[in-house]
Amino acid sequence: MRIPDALRKPHTIVEIFIVGNLAFLAVDVYVAHLTNAFERRPEWLPVIFSIAAPLLLLIVANRLTGMLVGWLSLLVGIGGMLYHLQSHFFAEQTIRNLVYTAPFVAPLAYAGLGMLLILDRMTDPDSLEWAQWILFLALGGFAGNLALSLADHAQNGFFNRGEWVPVVAAALACAFLVTLVVRPTDRALWRWTAWIMVLQVLVGTAGFALHLRANLLRPAPNVLERFLYGAPVFAPLLFANLAILAGIGMWGIRICGSSTAQTDTPAN
Amino acid sequence: MRSFTGVFIAVVIAAAVVVAAFILNSRRPRVEVEQPSPANIRASGKCAECHSRETPAIVHEFELSKHAAAGVTCLDCHGAGDNQPKFDHRGFVMAKSLTAANCARCHATQYRQFLRSRHAAPSWAAVSGTRGFTAEQIAFAEQYHPGSMNRPPNAIGSLEGATAIAGGCTKCHNVGQPNPDGSIGSCTNCHSRHSASIALARLPETCGQCHMGPDHSQIEIYHESKHGVLFNAQRATMNLGAPAKKLTAADMPVPTCATCHMSGLEGQNVTHDMSERLSWYLFAEISTKRPNYAQAQSNMKEICLKCHTKPRIDLFFVQAEQQVASTNAVVSQAKAIMDNLHATGKLTPKPFDEPLEYTYFNMWHYDGRTSKHGAFMGGADFVQWHGNYELVSKLTEIQHAANAHP
Repeated sequence: MRIPDALRKPHTIVEIFIVGNLAFLAVDVYVAHLTNAFERRPEWLPVIFSIAAPLLLLIVANRLTGMLVGWLSLLVGIGGMLYHLQSHFFAEQTIRNLVYTAPFVAPLAYAGLGMLLILDRMTDPDSLEWAQWILFLALGGFAGNLALSLADHAQNGFFNRGEWVPVVAAALACAFLVTLVVRPTDRALWRWTAWIMVLQVLVGTAGFALHLRANLLRPAPNVLERFLYGAPVFAPLLFANLAILAGIGMWGIRICGSSTAQTDTPAN
Repeated sequence: MRSFTGVFIAVVIAAAVVVAAFILNSRRPRVEVEQPSPANIRASGKCAECHSRETPAIVHEFELSKHAAAGVTCLDCHGAGDNQPKFDHRGFVMAKSLTAANCARCHATQYRQFLRSRHAAPSWAAVSGTRGFTAEQIAFAEQYHPGSMNRPPNAIGSLEGATAIAGGCTKCHNVGQPNPDGSIGSCTNCHSRHSASIALARLPETCGQCHMGPDHSQIEIYHESKHGVLFNAQRATMNLGAPAKKLTAADMPVPTCATCHMSGLEGQNVTHDMSERLSWYLFAEISTKRPNYAQAQSNMKEICLKCHTKPRIDLFFVQAEQQVASTNAVVSQAKAIMDNLHATGKLTPKPFDEPLEYTYFNMWHYDGRTSKHGAFMGGADFVQWHGNYELVSKLTEIQHAANAHP
């Protein structure tokens, strides 16, 4: 079966990535705000936006719509962060409050996706710069993963030594991506980064399974509460998700690389 | 080597970040990093840090308890034992659910006494039979309460269905349920959870949560009795929280259920086996003396002596036993008629499929018990109107029904 030409372009895959992520955020934010029983009406805003935005992007696929959704997404992200600043963490700065009260960093996922949408329309998708920006945004995500997996598992006292795995994995991802952003034409670095991203997918999948298992084993009145108040089951999947984004950026580099001179690495 | 410059830089950065993370974690306060122990929790208030916000009432209840005053910590009770299903809770290995085994770590004597009581395995067997018990547990309970385990579950339960059993029967009978860790029962049914209160266990209302209603109207009888009336008048001046082994008549000058059946009033032995002071199987269709009849009655009379003179106590027991004999006689008459109706095929062998079977069941299970309990607990109205009157009324109904089916 022949793959359509559009799907052979990193630019198109990024758009699919954005649509998928925005749609998934509807479920994720719904579950998160369910713990608060949607006490304030604005809590429905990100859920509604996450349902409407992907539909809009799919139905009216033009530059203007993309920019509009991008800026709105940025607005939702920053607005959400400001709302979350009212959390207990700012009343009492403990790791527990950082992890378990309204996460002020979490809404920035919308900001990231908004920036991705805008960037995708402001930069030439066939340029190296475009690929570097994609890597940079993936790097930002992994930096968040590093901070949150460190804080989250510190709250758990790193009870299981395996809880250090995502910290190390995120550190590797950050380090390799930042280096690749600076040295995009380094072939060896590119290959190593590719393997590091495969590692992120494995870590994310294993983390998802472990969080799922922990929630199924913990005592709670019902299944819903196991997931509402237990280990965040979707959080580890962010490793795999960001690895895919980084992979798209690396694909972009590879495509550009075919028309760009190798700086310090012989092609092999 | 030139080709690996980028990789080298990346690895160095990654290593630096990981080392920074380790250093950051190691610089966290000792109480946050250290693996929890009871001493650590005592020093840091680790559990209360979250639970004073998430479930503040239980923290408050615990603070009121004697456990808190004695320096017992959350982990002392909630820490998982060897055979208990465990789960990881913010770095603490916790028991999934607490059972009598957790309490028995410190209160082993009380648990052993409880195991010998009818509150333990026989209580659960009445609803669910022997399912869930080991052969040793069944043999142990049978040794103290013959016939209490090797029996089918009460037929009423299967008639009413699973919902009634779950929402009704088991809510009381789970005081003796078999636990996954091999222990039996739950102490919190009487002592509550976080307040772990001896005062609560001494309140008549605590026993009355289960010992109420037509099938065993103890709480209603108690409140009719002089004991109950005096208790309600004087409860504000009583010291219900006095230590079990130091309880005096000054602390509780008026008895509650626990005083007579369990407490160590004025030096009497404390027990969690109520059978030690019970001389008759009053709950039975036809009441018989318990195997330890003489010793048990003597034990109970010892408690009565703290407030009453011996002649009065002896007279009380004579009159109560006369009521037992009277109830037995009336119920025996009805039983003979019912047995005859079953033997001659006028009633089917299937239980509870004919109205007359309900009449007879109500007669002995409700009215018979009420008359006997009323007599032993000083509840005159329960002896008479709720007991004997109903007994003769239903006996007449049964006789009439039998005569109508010659």
